[in-house]
Amino acid sequence: MDIFTAFQLPFLQKALFAGLALGLILPFLGVFVTLRNMSFFGDGVAHASLAGVALGVLSGADPFLSAVGVGILVGIVIYLLEHKTILAPDALIGVLFTTAFSVGLVLLSLQRGYQPELMSFLFGNILTINSYDLLVITIFSGLIFVILAFTRRQLTMLALDKESAWLSGIRTGLFDFFFYIILSVTIVLGIKLLGIILVSALLVIPPSTAKLLARSLRGMILGSIVGGELAVITGLAVSYLLDFPTGAVIVLSAAAFFFCAILVRACKTF
Amino acid sequence: MEHSATFPFNSNHRDFHLHSRAAITVNNLAFSYGDGTPILQNISCSIPSGSVAIIVGPNGSGKTTFLKALLGLIPPTSGSIEVLGLAPSEARPRVGYVPQRFAIDHTFPITVFEFLRFSHPAVPEERIDEYLEHLGMSAMRTARLGSLSGGQLQRTLVIRSVLHSPEILFLDEPASGIDIGGEQTFYDLILHLHKEHANTIVMVSHEIDIVARFADTVLCLNKTLVCHGAPIDVLTPQTLQQLYGKDVSLYQHQEKS
Repeated sequence: MDIFTAFQLPFLQKALFAGLALGLILPFLGVFVTLRNMSFFGDGVAHASLAGVALGVLSGADPFLSAVGVGILVGIVIYLLEHKTILAPDALIGVLFTTAFSVGLVLLSLQRGYQPELMSFLFGNILTINSYDLLVITIFSGLIFVILAFTRRQLTMLALDKESAWLSGIRTGLFDFFFYIILSVTIVLGIKLLGIILVSALLVIPPSTAKLLARSLRGMILGSIVGGELAVITGLAVSYLLDFPTGAVIVLSAAAFFFCAILVRACKTF
Repeated sequence: MEHSATFPFNSNHRDFHLHSRAAITVNNLAFSYGDGTPILQNISCSIPSGSVAIIVGPNGSGKTTFLKALLGLIPPTSGSIEVLGLAPSEARPRVGYVPQRFAIDHTFPITVFEFLRFSHPAVPEERIDEYLEHLGMSAMRTARLGSLSGGQLQRTLVIRSVLHSPEILFLDEPASGIDIGGEQTFYDLILHLHKEHANTIVMVSHEIDIVARFADTVLCLNKTLVCHGAPIDVLTPQTLQQLYGKDVSLYQHQEKS
């Protein structure tokens, strides 16, 4: 079956729509994450959300939603500790995510037998996305995209210089807090696509690729989104044709664009 | 060790827009860090609307901290500040600020125009372009902020600080990072903008000649307010010795017209 016919299959269509939604918001938000040097935050929240998955599995609740809840909670705790202690953010994230991940592993060990959800959450499995997942991802992604589009100025000024942001009338504390929440939600949504281990790739690789080539912030945002969407489409198509793990191939596609950008930049420099 | 210099003291060339109304009123201001180390103590003063007030003092005397308290960037430990009759944080839309240093990531992909636009979203784009042209920065409109020279960056920060026609302009050693030749032009520009907008200027400066030439009011700061008044009254060898702990001689001369 050729790839165009394959994309008419319902399960692959659901995967494509969910991938495009996440390929839009993860790289968009990732622009501000990379500009604020917060790449480790994505890994931290993703790993910590395993505790939420475990709670969902044990209680019979939807592991996806409980993971979102724990992701938000961890994001808030990181924010508060960053502002209330003298510890560096990377140290705090290191403490919190290993603790929450370990809680998740201990809780999951209480559940007997094979746990398919665990593998799906660890490595992602976009091909198993059902209509309910797609609905949740689409609603959240749409909402987050609108919020990002309307708060682009505030998030940019916060990333550039907090004093300048405050003087230009932005309520910096409130927007910072809001940024951590929205980032936590987006990362946990992305786990469906790429899994806990790889989700931060779409948050970091497309923005970094775009930064290498963009001359303006607008260029970086557009380049990042285009790069993210292309990585999702290419990754889905190649993984289907070659029967490779989808999440990994999406990340490899994004990485291929990144190294192409490195080459382009090197050619411009020499 | 004795230092001596000659200065043309500021005459009455800006009296046309000096008002008796206070732009800034400070009462018993004190600021200390979390560990209790006092930085500012018992500061009370007022700065008249439309005047140029320059804050002087040795390194570590609390000049930048004082300015940041006036801007509302740091909350005072005790005392009160009124800026245009409001709390400093509420007066934000009516003031402009040029910091001493603007530490940005040089790879941050924001253009000069984007930076100015994002700093003042309500200001029309045409006005930004007018100012860029006025300050000789049109060619740098689409340049990355991080690629600018020290002088170009200071000009951009000046544009940002005056785009919204602020009633008070705060400048923290604004010519640091500009070479000697550019410094004169820079201060001329500040004075030109001051005359054009008739606004109040509060500036931190290390340079006594700048104080003598531009200030209507001098605030001598060394953790507390050592002296406060017109330059010709305040800039005396005695007060400067008290402020800097060194013997200083000053000579006044008439500026050629």
